[in-house]
Amino acid sequence: MDFDEILGGAQQELRRGTVVLACLLVLRRPGYGYGLLDQLRELGFSVDANTLYPLLRRLEGQGMLASEWNTDEARPRKFYRTSQDGERLAAALLDDWRRIDGSVRRLDQGDPR
Amino acid sequence: MSSLTDRYVWGVLRSVPERQRADLEPEIRAMIADAVEARTAAGAAPPTAERDALIELGDPERLAARYTDRPLHLIGPRYFLDYRRLLAILVPIVAAAVAFAVVLGDTVAGTAIFETVVHAVAAAVGAAIQVAFWVTVGFALVERGDARRTESTAWTPDQLPQLPSPGRLSPVELVLGVTANVLVIAALVWQQAAAPVTVDGQGFTLFDPVLWSFWMPWFIAVAALEVGFTIVLYLNGRWTLLLATVNAVLNAAFALPAIWLLQQGRLINPDLVAALEAIAGGAWFGPTAAVIAVVVAVISAWDAIDGFLKAGRSRGAMGLPAMGSAMPRA
Repeated sequence: MDFDEILGGAQQELRRGTVVLACLLVLRRPGYGYGLLDQLRELGFSVDANTLYPLLRRLEGQGMLASEWNTDEARPRKFYRTSQDGERLAAALLDDWRRIDGSVRRLDQGDPR
Repeated sequence: MSSLTDRYVWGVLRSVPERQRADLEPEIRAMIADAVEARTAAGAAPPTAERDALIELGDPERLAARYTDRPLHLIGPRYFLDYRRLLAILVPIVAAAVAFAVVLGDTVAGTAIFETVVHAVAAAVGAAIQVAFWVTVGFALVERGDARRTESTAWTPDQLPQLPSPGRLSPVELVLGVTANVLVIAALVWQQAAAPVTVDGQGFTLFDPVLWSFWMPWFIAVAALEVGFTIVLYLNGRWTLLLATVNAVLNAAFALPAIWLLQQGRLINPDLVAALEAIAGGAWFGPTAAVIAVVVAVISAWDAIDGFLKAGRSRGAMGLPAMGSAMPRA
C-alpha cells in the first residue's frame, strides 16, 4: 500500500463526523441540498450526495434542522435551516473540536500536559 | 421529466415505506434537477448531464437504505460474534443428534449398515444446513429490529477460550462419541427386533430376551447418558476431575453388569448357546465368555483411566512447551 492510499484512508477516518458540524454551521443561513453540497466541496469537505441528503433528513428528523419548501423560484426547493437545538449541538461540537485541536497542538509541540 | 429520472425516483421510492414516499419524492426530484441544471450550466448536453447526475447519486437502493437507516449487511459487527458462537455450538450438536435418531430408526427397521450410514450422513448434513439457515435468518431479523433496544450479549472474561489442551474434544470427536453410543443403543434394539444370528436356518437374538425386563433398558439408559456426557464434555472444552469421575462411573455402570451377567451365563441368549453347542459339541461357551469379559474390562478400565490422565494433563497445560513459543511471556 503506498503512502497516498494510507493518507486517504486516515483522512477519511479523521473527517468523518465533521460533515455534521459543517452542515449545522453553514445552514445558519438557510440553504438547499445541492447548494450545500457545492459549498461544502468548495470548503474542502469531501462528501457524497448520497450521504449528504439522507444526513440532512436525519438531522431534520432529530430536530437539529428545520425545513420549508421555497416556491419563489422557477422550481420548488426544500430549504434547511439550523434550529435552536441545532445551534446547541453545533456549540457543543465546536467546543469538542477546539479541545481536540488544543490537545493535538500541545502534543505536536512536545508538551505532555 | 425524462424516463431515466422517473425510473431513478421509483428505484429509490419502492424500497422506502409507503408513508415516507410522498414526502421524499419532491425532495429527490429537486436534487436531481439541481444537479442536472448545474451540469448543463457548465456546458454539458442535457442527456449526458442527467446520466452523470444519476451516476453521482449512485445505486438508488443504497440511497433508499441510507434514507431509512436500513443496514446494508446481513449480520453486522454488533451481532456477528454471538452469531458465530451460536453456530459453532448448535451445528455439531444438532447434526449429531439427527444422525443418532436416523441410525436408531433405521436399525429398528432393519436397514442394511451401509444404507444406514448414508442416511445418517445425509440427514446430518441436511440438519446442519437447516440450523445454519434458520440461525442466520433469526440474526438477520434481529439486526433489522430496533437496534437500540436489543443489546448483544455483553462479553465477560469467563467466555475466554480454554488454552489448547490434550483432552480437548474436537467437533469430530463429539460426533464420533455420540454416534458410537447411538450405535450401541441401535444394536441392542436391532438384535432383539431382527433376531439376526442364524443357526441351522433358525434366527436367534444375541442376548437373552429376559434381560429386557431390567438390564437392557439399563444399558440403553447408560449409553444415552454417555451421549449427554459427551456433549457436556464438548461444551466444557476440557477434561476436569469431575468429568473424569463421571466418565469412570458411566464406564463402570456399563461394564460391571455386563461382565457379571456374562459370567453368570445370563447375558447371551441360552437358546442360542444351546443351539451352537449342539453343533460344535462340548461346553466351549465358558472360556469364550471369560475372554470377552476380560476384553470388556480392559477397554472400560482404559477409558476411565484415560479420562483422569487427560484431566491431569489439561490442568498442567499452561506449562506445555508448545504454548511457550506461541505466546509472549510477560
